Amino acid sequence: MIHKTSPEIGGMGHPIKRKEDLRFIQGKGNYVDDVRLPGMVYGQLVRSPYAHARIKGVHTENAKKLPGVLAVITGEDLAKANLAWMPTLSYDKQMVLATGKVLFQSQEVAFVVAEDRYTAADAAELVEVEYEELPVLVDPHKALDSGAPILREDREQKNNHIFHWEVGDRQATDEVFQKAAVRAKVNAFFPRCHPAPLETCGCVADFNRATGRLTVYMTSQAPHAHRTVFALVGGIPENNIRVVSPDIGGGFGNKVPVYPGYVCAIVASLTLGVPVKWIETRSENLQSTGFARDYHMTAEIAADSQGKMRALRVKTLADHGAFNAAAQPTKFPAGLFSICTGSYDFPTAFCEVDGVYTNKAPGGIAYRCSFRVTEAAYLIERVVDVLALELKMDPAELRRKNFVPAERFPYKCALGWTYDSGDYDAAMKLALDKIGYQQLRKEQAEKRKKGELMGIGISSFTEIVGAGPAHTFDILGIKMFDSAEIRIHPTGKAICRMGTKSQGQGHETTYAQIVAQELGIPAADVTVEEGDTDTAPYGLGTYASRSTPTSGAATAMAARKIRDKAKKIAAHLLECSEADLEWEPGKFYVKGTPSKAKTIQEIAFAAYTNMPAGLEAGLEAVDYYDPPNLTFPFGTYICVVDIDQGTGEVKVRRFLAVDDCGNIINPMIVEGQIHGGLTEGLGIAFMQQIDYDESGNVQGGSFMDYLLPTAVETPHWETDKTCTPSPHHPFGAKGVGESPNVGSPAAFVNAVVDALSHLGVRHIDMPVTPWKVWSVLKEKGVTG
Amino acid sequence: MALKIEKTFQIEEPVDKVWAFLSDPRKVATCVPGAQITEQVDEKTYRGAISVKVGPSVTNYKGEVQILRLDAQNHEIEILGKGQDVRGRGNASMKMTGKLSPLPAGGTEVTSISEVNVVGILAQMGSRVIAEVSNIMFDAFTKNFQERLKASAVPGAGDQAGVDELKPVQATSVAWQAAKGLFRGSS
Amino acid sequence: MAKKQMVRVRVNGRERQAEVEPRLLLVHFIREVLQLTGTHIGCDTSHCGACTVLLNGKTVKSCTVFAVQADGGELFTVEGLIKDGQLHPLQEGFKEEHGLQCGFCTPGMLMSCFSLLEHNPNPSEEDIRWGISGNLCRCTGYQNIVRAVQFAAGKLSHEKKAQGALK
Repeated sequence: MIHKTSPEIGGMGHPIKRKEDLRFIQGKGNYVDDVRLPGMVYGQLVRSPYAHARIKGVHTENAKKLPGVLAVITGEDLAKANLAWMPTLSYDKQMVLATGKVLFQSQEVAFVVAEDRYTAADAAELVEVEYEELPVLVDPHKALDSGAPILREDREQKNNHIFHWEVGDRQATDEVFQKAAVRAKVNAFFPRCHPAPLETCGCVADFNRATGRLTVYMTSQAPHAHRTVFALVGGIPENNIRVVSPDIGGGFGNKVPVYPGYVCAIVASLTLGVPVKWIETRSENLQSTGFARDYHMTAEIAADSQGKMRALRVKTLADHGAFNAAAQPTKFPAGLFSICTGSYDFPTAFCEVDGVYTNKAPGGIAYRCSFRVTEAAYLIERVVDVLALELKMDPAELRRKNFVPAERFPYKCALGWTYDSGDYDAAMKLALDKIGYQQLRKEQAEKRKKGELMGIGISSFTEIVGAGPAHTFDILGIKMFDSAEIRIHPTGKAICRMGTKSQGQGHETTYAQIVAQELGIPAADVTVEEGDTDTAPYGLGTYASRSTPTSGAATAMAARKIRDKAKKIAAHLLECSEADLEWEPGKFYVKGTPSKAKTIQEIAFAAYTNMPAGLEAGLEAVDYYDPPNLTFPFGTYICVVDIDQGTGEVKVRRFLAVDDCGNIINPMIVEGQIHGGLTEGLGIAFMQQIDYDESGNVQGGSFMDYLLPTAVETPHWETDKTCTPSPHHPFGAKGVGESPNVGSPAAFVNAVVDALSHLGVRHIDMPVTPWKVWSVLKEKGVTG
Repeated sequence: MALKIEKTFQIEEPVDKVWAFLSDPRKVATCVPGAQITEQVDEKTYRGAISVKVGPSVTNYKGEVQILRLDAQNHEIEILGKGQDVRGRGNASMKMTGKLSPLPAGGTEVTSISEVNVVGILAQMGSRVIAEVSNIMFDAFTKNFQERLKASAVPGAGDQAGVDELKPVQATSVAWQAAKGLFRGSS
Repeated sequence: MAKKQMVRVRVNGRERQAEVEPRLLLVHFIREVLQLTGTHIGCDTSHCGACTVLLNGKTVKSCTVFAVQADGGELFTVEGLIKDGQLHPLQEGFKEEHGLQCGFCTPGMLMSCFSLLEHNPNPSEEDIRWGISGNLCRCTGYQNIVRAVQFAAGKLSHEKKAQGALK
């Protein structure tokens, strides 16, 4: 049962203002580039202009001669310390600084260290590298051809194939397709894009020779995991490493991998004995750090003539770039892509994914994807719309006919996941009513008669977040639990530390609200800290919308342990037995005599001044939470667009997002997350692609070409919600941060296709640029 | 990043005179802004260098010019120029086919079709800058070509005439041309 | 290396000076020489606006201005918004309306909004969106930033009226 707390306490459901804002609005945040240490010097990387080339020589003499330059590190230098290569989060390895050859344009080749950043830039210009070009592979469809250049000479298997992964029942699925009355198919490409948080990646590596301790201030979404990786790779005792992830200017998955810049800065600091700062530029960020998506997908649905879906068949080619550095749980080389059955009750399904290498930057899992759920949700929502066109059925009606019904939860889907709870039809109904769906369809019909183009796109997605249960989820072997440690001071205030790391999600406020809910201590009195591995309990960090499902749960569990101890102290103070006590947020009182009560503050004071016999002093607890399952938030998004026939420009007239993430801690913060994610989805659907030409030159390597939505392009977002709590989560919550990225691209694209479907259009690949739409209109004879 | 550029211009000199100039890489190099031939390797191959300035950044290429085909009868020449950035920032190559046709009034029409390919940091700027750089260099080339050809009619004018005077293409003009290009929609 | 030059600037009302290389960018001057780290760097092509400050009363992207260009001028950064411990109505608005999440775009955004309200004390939603179109935000989707500016506009006009009433 969730008690309602007063606004002064600010527990669950209260839209309290954020505690972290005060420093940010004054420009007093502490981001990595704000860190300034005595004697600090600056590092800069030298990068390859070629996508595939042998290194014939690296000449550093001129750079070393420049006054103010302290060191120039090459791959050969690192190789001597066995550091030229490092492990990736996918059990592949990646070059820190290139030796032998380079495999993508902008790959790291050398690292210069100088007294100031301008001298470092000058020195980087003076490093001369001789290259001998090799044939370039940029088309993943050609990666497995017999004549394709073999990129990875370091692997035993001499081909560009990384993995084959499959799940489901191929035979049963194929049989259904053979007999199917209706089939729908779509080839959907999810382009390579990039999360581009406003703060780029960087670190200050500070090795203190006097103490033997290495401190790394780092843009890290997972500081403990990074600390362990540095210990294992660098051979430094883990107790002598401290990773501090201070304020982070956005993550979106970009700050999960370990990048060569971090390793080089650490090596430089170990060598020079002074702090070394490395901050990448935006171009470096876009061209070399973890990209997102690049999935070439095909989906087919077999249905009966009434529109009941019978089987789903999915095949995907995954372009991973030059190294498999995708950050996902070990057992899932394609992440959680197998959620591709979505919100629909498929009796059988089959899904296979093949990953290949190409001469492009490494990565794949990023940009609010929930481990490839963005790709999966986009695919199923697109192919369902194609099926609706095949059946000449309204897309809302088709979805409602096939939703997993509310009574079937927990629901085991054909590809193995057990969805904890859901009520897809309720969210859909709310969305249809609120947007005025029937009226919009009428309007569309009338506009069509006049030759005007208007479209309505629906996306009814199911998300899967909160990785994850120890029996299935680990990253580099470390299980994906998470943690919270809470300590109450004598005067009733509290400090908590968690194993996650906010990059704008508001944990300093939301975790305090959980404590407020569980213990009745006002959220204002609860300090929340994350990101310092010396003080925070071990955790796997924040990404994939996992914080509330894991650390949030741990916070509640730790608070309940404290409440159990508090009850003992209260019984001692009230001279009664524990069985006589009732709890309401903030106090224990004697059953039937509410005036005989002790507040949590009085109890806290007593924990240090008046302990019961045999009970330790103090009032604190730590919890490491192993979630029993993932959580499955969901929603229905509806997008209305108008298309200008002359220019192909798509204007989003309305966008309604109905989200269900179970019980909500802070509705203001949830709404803000939805706004932000929808805006990213808008960019992805209409504006963004990191592409490569045939020579491997990256197109889209700066903000000149890689476009982010501004306030002008971004429409007004309408939000609403339903609430289907998670049955297994301590306070019924699910994650939500990524739902808008997961659900929105399909809504946008479905709307555009819907506007053009009467012309015979079934699919348009993202980014849906005005030129693409105009080309379709021209081809269909609509425009001149 | 591959680009095709076609250029045609007229010159008020007879075909044979133009051909004599055009078929000598050392003479042609004197017309290309920022370029110089440094040595002749064999009868078809020359080594050279070119300096290209885009914005405040200067890229120096070192490379080779090869005469692939020389057809004195039909006045056709095919040249392949390849350069590597001395600092390892990339490379550029250009395969040019040039054809001369006599004009009725006594002059010559020069038609050239070039395939330009750029790899590296410059190529990230995209075709818009590369096309503009190429256009400006071609315009400068044709202007210099006409002037040099005229000057070579004067006795005493040598191969090395004015090499030092030819500075690399100016930064601001490229940036301005590129910006103008965006608005007039040409490439 | 070019000879260093003396730059004298009035920063948030205070006289500051330093010898700098002519090529030093204003944003580095602010962050590293003046040690005011509120102004941020988010890109290298002058697109993102995280570095926005007011120079001689006009918003500029300090990543595309040289420090020497500020010599003899007046610089106003986010650190100058707070007066005698009182938050500026814009800062209040950003807090009240949840106009920030990670906070990285916020200083530049605040400066652009400050300038917007100076020129247009009663902006429409469209005015505000155009006014901040030079500032990129990845977290908020801009909607609550618009509300923050509307909050501030309302508070500033209310304060102005109150001041007027006192006269």
